[in-house]
Amino acid sequence: MTSTEITAEITAEGIWLAEPPSEPVMVHFDGRYLWSFTPARDGQPRADGSFVPWPGNLVRFLDGVVRIRLQDVDGEHVWWDAEHQFGTSTERVAVVDKEGVPLSVDKVGHLGRSFLETPEEVKQELLQATLEVLTVLREQCDADAYLCYGALLGAVRNGKMIGHDSDVDVCYYSHRTTPVDIILESYRIERIVRAQGWTVTRMSGADIKVVRKLSNGAKCHIDIFGAFTIGGTFYQLGNRSGDFDAAAHLLPLGTVMLEGVEFPAPKHPEAMLSFVYGPHWRVPDPSFVHRDNPFGVIRLNGWLRGFRDDLPLWNDVYDQRAGQVQREPSDFARWVGEQLAPGDKVADLGAGTGRDTRWFAEQGHDVRAVDFSRRSFARTRRIDGVRSDQTMFNELRRVLILGTRLARDPHHLYARELLGCLDEAARANLFKLGSMSLRRGGSMFLEFSATLAGALPPDPGHLVARLDPDRVAAEVAASGGRIDYRETAEGVDMFDAPDPAVCRMRITWPHPKENH
Amino acid sequence: MASAKGEKAKDVARKVRDRVRASGVFDRSLRGRVQRLEQELEADRQLHRKIAELSDVVAELLVPIQDRDEERVAEVLSQYRKTI
Repeated sequence: MTSTEITAEITAEGIWLAEPPSEPVMVHFDGRYLWSFTPARDGQPRADGSFVPWPGNLVRFLDGVVRIRLQDVDGEHVWWDAEHQFGTSTERVAVVDKEGVPLSVDKVGHLGRSFLETPEEVKQELLQATLEVLTVLREQCDADAYLCYGALLGAVRNGKMIGHDSDVDVCYYSHRTTPVDIILESYRIERIVRAQGWTVTRMSGADIKVVRKLSNGAKCHIDIFGAFTIGGTFYQLGNRSGDFDAAAHLLPLGTVMLEGVEFPAPKHPEAMLSFVYGPHWRVPDPSFVHRDNPFGVIRLNGWLRGFRDDLPLWNDVYDQRAGQVQREPSDFARWVGEQLAPGDKVADLGAGTGRDTRWFAEQGHDVRAVDFSRRSFARTRRIDGVRSDQTMFNELRRVLILGTRLARDPHHLYARELLGCLDEAARANLFKLGSMSLRRGGSMFLEFSATLAGALPPDPGHLVARLDPDRVAAEVAASGGRIDYRETAEGVDMFDAPDPAVCRMRITWPHPKENH
Repeated sequence: MASAKGEKAKDVARKVRDRVRASGVFDRSLRGRVQRLEQELEADRQLHRKIAELSDVVAELLVPIQDRDEERVAEVLSQYRKTI
């Protein structure tokens, strides 16, 4: 090992390097792998050097003392190795989960337990879980399913899992050639996978995630990605697209060995790895980031996505800023509360941290909390007397089911700071929900930030937009709704910071028969 | 008076013209046509998911609803929600 010290400055914001190395830099905290970056790609030029900010999810852990080491992939070169103090705490910095297991940052910036910290028997359990998923896909779904991405890379390189990886991905090749059929096939596969009793999350129209609990309490995530060929272009979710001849290199499937277990794999795994990671796939690079064809990504987004795009960003907000949301009910909730009769039921749409959900329940109302985030779901389901529901307003299927249920069990619809988080299609679905469920009575109560010349976006600015109340009114009218009350005045945002223009609306949907 | 009215009408006409130009609806240039094509193509792409979602709901729920079996409808709704 050589120690070539470089000039670096470490702050609460990030790492500044005077002469940034051209190769990936591994960051270790107290001797444990934490994160890696490539300065030329991830850094910003600053003061004749390169500044790389800490990943957003790491920042809340940075208070205390820790020994920071910056080194290359193999640990042959160490560029920096010194104690550092963040903030005022004198405790050791511990980037760990609730069970105290060390976490590291994966290639999309999320914190997870990497395989470096995974005991052998747990690794074997994970491999068995993956094999079970592949068996269900192949035998019950009749799909050409194979091991892919990091697990395939590790298998082909040396038959072992890659230490810095934190999940296992499998793919299946769909023989359908139009997106609508590919999505319907994915729905069919999801039903069969769910029937095994496993927790499943839909990530897009053609990929789902299976979450399974391991014996050490950790949850393992197994992504099931669809792959298909449309118009001569091969696509494989995440976001890969390009020239790859599935007939020549993928099917019929072969096998690879990973940690002594045999897995189905592409017929020519090297061709797949070259397609996925480029020609240098044999050289280890933990900081690797896919550079996908932007036109392929645009197509995949249009065909398959759009119903949960902001979800990871909202989860980050809940993880990092939930404490900044007041626990007391909002003024809007109190205003709505005055208009409710005792015993009225309320559906809190976009319930978030559940501050208003809890208050409505405390006032004796039956409350149904609806949010697209699992973080919110986990919070509101613990409140007495509340039923929680995870529904994405961009996913028509779930909106239709919720609308049908609420039509049979009427609730007032309450949505504070939700409308500005929705795009036009999701707003149309929200008003469809109103028209389905309120035609026999009840109101929808909306509060949202309104457009105002010179006003900044409400916080969190990257996730909430101001809306023109006239435009909202036109959308309500198009859905058959009637605005009974409308007012724009000064108010507050989600964190109770002043907002110069907040619009309140009360909307009803007359029964269609009333229009005849 | 007449000329002031005329000026106002011209002003309105100019505003309408500027808005139409800004919207690109009548932009016959190649750039304008490509932009419109891209927007229309994106809208078409999004129909795939919408059709898939509607087909799925209809296929899974239509039969018991046709039978007007209230209990069965409630059960099927509940079962359906568990699978998505």
